[in-house]
Amino acid sequence: MNLVWKLLRQHISVPQFAGFFFANLFGMLIVLLGFQFYKDVLPVFTQGDSFMKADYLIMSKKISTAGTISGSSNTFSKSEKDDVEAQKFTKKVGEFTSTEYKVDASMGVNGQSVLNSELFFESVPDGFVDVPLKDWQYKEGSKEVPIILPRTYINMYNFGFAQSHSLPKISDGLVGMIDFSIFINENGHQDRYKGKVIGFSNRLNTILVPQKFMDWSNNYYSAGKHSDPTRLIVEVGNPADDHIAKYLDKKGYEIDSDKLDAQKTTYFLKMVVTLVMGVGVVISILSFYILMLSIYLLVQKNSSKLENLLLIGYSPNKVAKPYQLLTIGLNVAVLLIAWIILFFVREYYMGVIETLFPDIEEGSMLWSVVVGLILFLIVTVMNQLAIRRKIMRIWYRKD
Amino acid sequence: MNKIEMHAVLPQVFSQRTDLNSEIWQNEVLFEKNHLYLVEADSGKGKSTFCSYIIGYRSDYTGNVDFDGVSTFGLKVKDWVEVRKYHISHLFQELRLFPELSAYENVEIKNKLTGFKTRKQIEDWFEMLGIGDKLDAKIGRMSFGQQQRVAMIRALVQPFDFILADEPISHLDDTNSQIMGDIMMTEAKAQGAGVIVTSIGKHMDLNYEKTYRL
Repeated sequence: MNLVWKLLRQHISVPQFAGFFFANLFGMLIVLLGFQFYKDVLPVFTQGDSFMKADYLIMSKKISTAGTISGSSNTFSKSEKDDVEAQKFTKKVGEFTSTEYKVDASMGVNGQSVLNSELFFESVPDGFVDVPLKDWQYKEGSKEVPIILPRTYINMYNFGFAQSHSLPKISDGLVGMIDFSIFINENGHQDRYKGKVIGFSNRLNTILVPQKFMDWSNNYYSAGKHSDPTRLIVEVGNPADDHIAKYLDKKGYEIDSDKLDAQKTTYFLKMVVTLVMGVGVVISILSFYILMLSIYLLVQKNSSKLENLLLIGYSPNKVAKPYQLLTIGLNVAVLLIAWIILFFVREYYMGVIETLFPDIEEGSMLWSVVVGLILFLIVTVMNQLAIRRKIMRIWYRKD
Repeated sequence: MNKIEMHAVLPQVFSQRTDLNSEIWQNEVLFEKNHLYLVEADSGKGKSTFCSYIIGYRSDYTGNVDFDGVSTFGLKVKDWVEVRKYHISHLFQELRLFPELSAYENVEIKNKLTGFKTRKQIEDWFEMLGIGDKLDAKIGRMSFGQQQRVAMIRALVQPFDFILADEPISHLDDTNSQIMGDIMMTEAKAQGAGVIVTSIGKHMDLNYEKTYRL
């Protein structure tokens, strides 16, 4: 056996190192679990939201009986929009633009017509729509228009229509099965377009087309007409900011409360997870102190041996090595065990989540693995430096 | 390394003293390879201090200790490690053995650094010094005289230009100190090394070329 190790393992206290081991394990586990849980659960709240950037609100004016009778406008004027833009909680504001002409559309699945109706489209600036640019573009004059439908349409079809007509159900992956035809007969033009459905949104209750198509078609079919928007889309920094509620109250605006709730939930989830991870980090730091204290005590108890080794020609690196390897070994063991426990805990709760939300993505442990590695590296590097420093103090006879 | 020089070295603890009458402190001293020196002193004159300055264990002095004309104040940690490993061997007065290890392990832990001697050579020395049966005995269970012999063997299992023996025979009988002197001188001659022995009276019976009074 290595003689230096035989010498330096004297006075190693197993209870102290076990204490460090478990404290570090719990700290690491809590941090990783908090992080992984957040990553896994977040999609539950943001799911279906993939077409829109996360923290936005749709703002409209309250429609009241008094307002209807008095004929006051429910549209936003330029100055009202600027006012919203000037608020502190606002990051970005966009308007909903509606079609100024009449649209007839028919939707069918597998050749069977499902819906025929006069409709209208709306658009928001491209910056608010979060889909790959190549899917969400329109070339002037092209007869194919990308479309995002409200999820309620497809739910209506799936749970009502498809069932009774023995038609296939449509999932997100099968949007290509939908035939969406658009007829426009206005301003002397009569045209037919093919709508290309690229997905469903459960946060937007409107049929969305690219801004570019909107601008071009409004100009083409009803040049000169312009209406003020009835709804604004607002990106905010923190949806739980109570200034928003106060502002809405004061102005008599309203927002879709359901959306705000989801965002509030996300916000609180973030907060809770941050808290939990904070506790984990504190435990990790404490465990680090336990280890450092044990090592210091060990070095202190063995200081005459260490000094003798240095005096007969051992370098400080060589003398520090056994203790450095010991801490690396402990840290590696902690990391591996934390990963293994995390894996099984995740298996368990993902089972529960998947029963509740079958649509949710599987996700991966990659990020937790990375976070674990980073934590491991930080702790290990600091251990190495502290041990080295302690040995150098013996060399310079400071202890 | 060919020579060790001391230029007006004075330990800080002696800086207030005016009655120093020393051939080493505040003097020019030269130690060269292939020569044999004796440093004699009464206790309290700084004999171990003298050794610790040369080995780089302490540096609380004014003046300069030079190796081959270069001041040791400029040496880095790794330079001192080199010096202790390859150039200057030190037999400590307080021995600095490891009580947890056996006699042989105490020698081997040093020999492992350079692999300078074979197990056979080390065992021969144990035999010659009359402790051949103590190879596997724990140092903590051996008498001080026996430990002194182990420490001497440990001092010899490395390449060196100088060997610094701090009171090597304080607890030995004449026969054993004679044997120990022979072994040390044989090894030093073989390596062409300089030998510096310190003593507080009783010293190895060797042909010292120069005696310094501390």
